[in-house]
Amino acid sequence: MNTNTTNASAGKSPYVIEMRGITKIFPGIIANDDITLQLKKGEIHALLGENGAGKSTLMSVLFGLYQPEKGEIYKNGEKVTINDPNDANALGIGMVHQHFKLVDVFTVLDNIILGVEPTKYGFLTKKEAREKVLRLSKTYGLNVDPDALVEDITVGMQQRTEILKMLYRENEILIFDEPTAVLTPQEITELMGIMKGLAKEGKSILFISHKLNEIMEVADRCTVLRKGKYIGTVDIADTDIERLSEMMVGREVHFTVDKDESKPGDVVLEVKDLTVKGHSHKKNAVNGVSLKVRKGEIVCVAGIDGNGQSEFISAITGLTKCEEGSVITLNGEDVTKKSIRYKNTHGMSHIPEDRHKHGLVLDYSLEQNLVLQRYFEKEFSHGGFIRFDKIRDYADVLIAEYDIRSGQGPVTPARSMSGGNQQKAIIARELDRPHDLLIAVQPTRGLDVGAIESIHKQIVSSRDAGAGVLLVSLELDEVMNLSDRILVMYEGEITGEFDPKKTTVQELGLYMAGAKRQNGRGEADGK
Amino acid sequence: MENKKTFGEKCAAFVRKDGVRSVIASLISILGGIAVGFIVLLLLAAFDSDVTFSQALKGILIVIKGPFSSGSADNMLFQIGNMLFEAAPLVMTGLSVAIAFKTGLFNIGAPGQYLMGAMGALVVALSLPTDTIPSWIVWILALLAGTLLGAVWGAIPGFFKAHFNVNEVIVCIMTNWIAANVVSWVFLDTDFINTPETKINFIKKTSSNGVATAKLGLDKIFEGSYMDISLIIASLVAIALYIMMNKTTFGYELKACGFNRNASKYAGMNEKRNILISMSIAGALAACGAALWVLNGSQDFKWNTYMSLPAEGFNGIPAALLASNNPIGVIFSSLFLKFLNKGGANLSAQTPFNEYVSQLIVAVIIYFSGFSKLFRDMLAKKLKGNEKRDGDSLKAKGGKKE
Ligand SMILES: Nc1ncnc2c1ncn2[C@@H]1O[C@H](COP(=O)(O)OP(=O)(O)OP(=O)(O)O)[C@@H](O)[C@H]1O
Ligand SMILES: [Mg+2]
Repeated sequence: MNTNTTNASAGKSPYVIEMRGITKIFPGIIANDDITLQLKKGEIHALLGENGAGKSTLMSVLFGLYQPEKGEIYKNGEKVTINDPNDANALGIGMVHQHFKLVDVFTVLDNIILGVEPTKYGFLTKKEAREKVLRLSKTYGLNVDPDALVEDITVGMQQRTEILKMLYRENEILIFDEPTAVLTPQEITELMGIMKGLAKEGKSILFISHKLNEIMEVADRCTVLRKGKYIGTVDIADTDIERLSEMMVGREVHFTVDKDESKPGDVVLEVKDLTVKGHSHKKNAVNGVSLKVRKGEIVCVAGIDGNGQSEFISAITGLTKCEEGSVITLNGEDVTKKSIRYKNTHGMSHIPEDRHKHGLVLDYSLEQNLVLQRYFEKEFSHGGFIRFDKIRDYADVLIAEYDIRSGQGPVTPARSMSGGNQQKAIIARELDRPHDLLIAVQPTRGLDVGAIESIHKQIVSSRDAGAGVLLVSLELDEVMNLSDRILVMYEGEITGEFDPKKTTVQELGLYMAGAKRQNGRGEADGK
Repeated sequence: MENKKTFGEKCAAFVRKDGVRSVIASLISILGGIAVGFIVLLLLAAFDSDVTFSQALKGILIVIKGPFSSGSADNMLFQIGNMLFEAAPLVMTGLSVAIAFKTGLFNIGAPGQYLMGAMGALVVALSLPTDTIPSWIVWILALLAGTLLGAVWGAIPGFFKAHFNVNEVIVCIMTNWIAANVVSWVFLDTDFINTPETKINFIKKTSSNGVATAKLGLDKIFEGSYMDISLIIASLVAIALYIMMNKTTFGYELKACGFNRNASKYAGMNEKRNILISMSIAGALAACGAALWVLNGSQDFKWNTYMSLPAEGFNGIPAALLASNNPIGVIFSSLFLKFLNKGGANLSAQTPFNEYVSQLIVAVIIYFSGFSKLFRDMLAKKLKGNEKRDGDSLKAKGGKKE
């Protein structure tokens, strides 16, 4: 193109990876429009942009999953073609995807060595692989159980498995697509440390995150995208959170939630002695937990991932069974033995933890997903036949109201939507359904700051309209910001109750780590 | 240049459509099958001194032309009639497999369901007195009996899958062989067995009791063939299923359950019930196909089935695969398979080749159709590859100019 490039291709390129003029078009949308990205060796380069801005797409191009319509990729100044992930791997490029690509029925170890299995005379020699994995896991503090099946482990551990997978392959260029979205604050701090360490060792890191403080903490530079276009690249040292978010959203963003004092009313959800058996351990995952959620309040269950929150919510919503003796009442009615459909139609809305496993039918279109629990209602069906026109109208309304961005509007396959917009679709569906109780597990996972702001507002207005909200979040900022009452869950028990105005993050941290517990809380009555 | 490009883009957009891509993938499977069949004929010609290469070429043309290569016009009509009649049971087993697929289940139990359906229909059609009950009522009852028995038979793997998460393939295979033995056992030493010494392996034709599917003069058009209205019935069922799967809340649930069982559970759908119902419908369909076949009135049903399973049941799998599980598509894929079948018969009649070659071609098509999804993906990739190669060659040209 110009003389610079000729010099660069002569060998001394300052960039280990350079993507030039990348354009990627999907049906109905230009996901990447002439984007340039320059990654220096040994730097941590953040990629920032709203949901659907095209970050994952750009990284998928680099990883060989998509072929761009236009543009070139250079490694150390030399032009390369990356046709598939194998090519990427050969060039030392590794990627942790936004939605993990693990084989559910394999163990953690098998997943890590999948594709690069060590063999001797054609036989698997897992012993060395195992040692290497354990060594890596120790060095980087990535705690995993190599023999656990992936389907049995928490999302956090799946994430760590993905990271280990990359480290195991000794990749030089590491792409992290929203790695922290599912990690606990402690784990995030650790990961930040790991990333810095890796960068110091000379590895170059591309890091996608919606959390600006993380970017401020670890990144050296940051490239901002907006609606598929390249906005600019800045040195982190010369910028701040406000400027970054304005660059990304195009307007000012408020980070605190404005909300009035809560006015708790009748009890909408009451849980008594809820016990859930653990997966593999003898210990109960949830051990005799009792709590009440009233109308007009937001109750948050805080805790470190894996302390029984998921099992607790699954039992309340009916996705898994709870033990004999547990009682769940919804609006004063015992619904312990009732079906999920019954709870759904009697005031329970549920934003699930795993949007791909539970929240969406990925092979359905956006509009079909927006009526996932309502397709049979009078409004959307007639004599057993679906009223497609009504669904379309309804979808159009939700898409506009919740700003769900996609290539083809209501008929977009859910699978092709960006992660954040998939989440927005679920939130729209659950908030718009008539509900007295909203159960929200990590509702803002993977959303950009602008979207978080508006979702928080909507949750608060759902509360003000008289719904009770049971929130599970690993995000302490969110917990402190949004809730009216905080319960800490540790090892399947509630170990403390707090008023967010009268406590601190540090205090909560002690309870979450199990270092402290309030007397009389969470002791299982009976046995 | 620009025009060409937009045309190319149009083509690409056209091919990107899911339906179009499925059809193309099916065509590739078919062409692949035919190509391999041709190679086999050529090889035979090369190694067998009785056969010449020109015969190989003639042979493949005979197969491709199906019933149209039958020689005389009369013979052709006869073969077409039989092709249409024989397609009906295949449409039904194809639908059976397709519906289960849509719910995320692999119904390899169609052969067993088919046997149960044949048995149910035969027993009712042969034992109800047609002098007191009008024969068309007996016909309907027989069809219903066969269908119901199949529904029950299909429900068994469905039940185990739904409530104990036992893989349906395993239970299906077991129920297949149980059906094979049950049917033999039920008919053993009964009056249902045909009497002439040469016919004791067969059950009496239902026409012996005056029960037979209406022909509406179709057998006159296709002189001498078995043709009756069963293909019309099967097509109506296919259309009904298409509507059920795509337009009703029930179909919405079944597909959701097939795509993502966890999400359908989360959404409050009764996924256990759906699995059970889906397998029952699948069983009913396969059985109904068998009932249509035996109720034709002129068909011999081999009753001592305990050592073999009916091919028609298994052939539902390629019929469904070739149609990408689209109910309407199953009508056409079934017709096509039967079309080749007739070509194969003509091949052995008119050339030194035997009919197994046509079966081989069908088998290869079936094999290829199993890869039709792969073809679909390859097609998508190929398009991209083309685009890129175009770009590269342009650049190469530019380079030369410099
Ligand atoms: N495979 C695909 N087919 C069609 N459209 C796609 C596909 N992948 C992404 N898109 C579209 O491209 C746009 C960019 O998506 P992308 O996943 O890159 O966003 P993102 O910046 O990673 O967003 P998020 O923060 O929500 O993850 C979206 O509008 C999405 O709908
Ligand atoms: Mg993304």
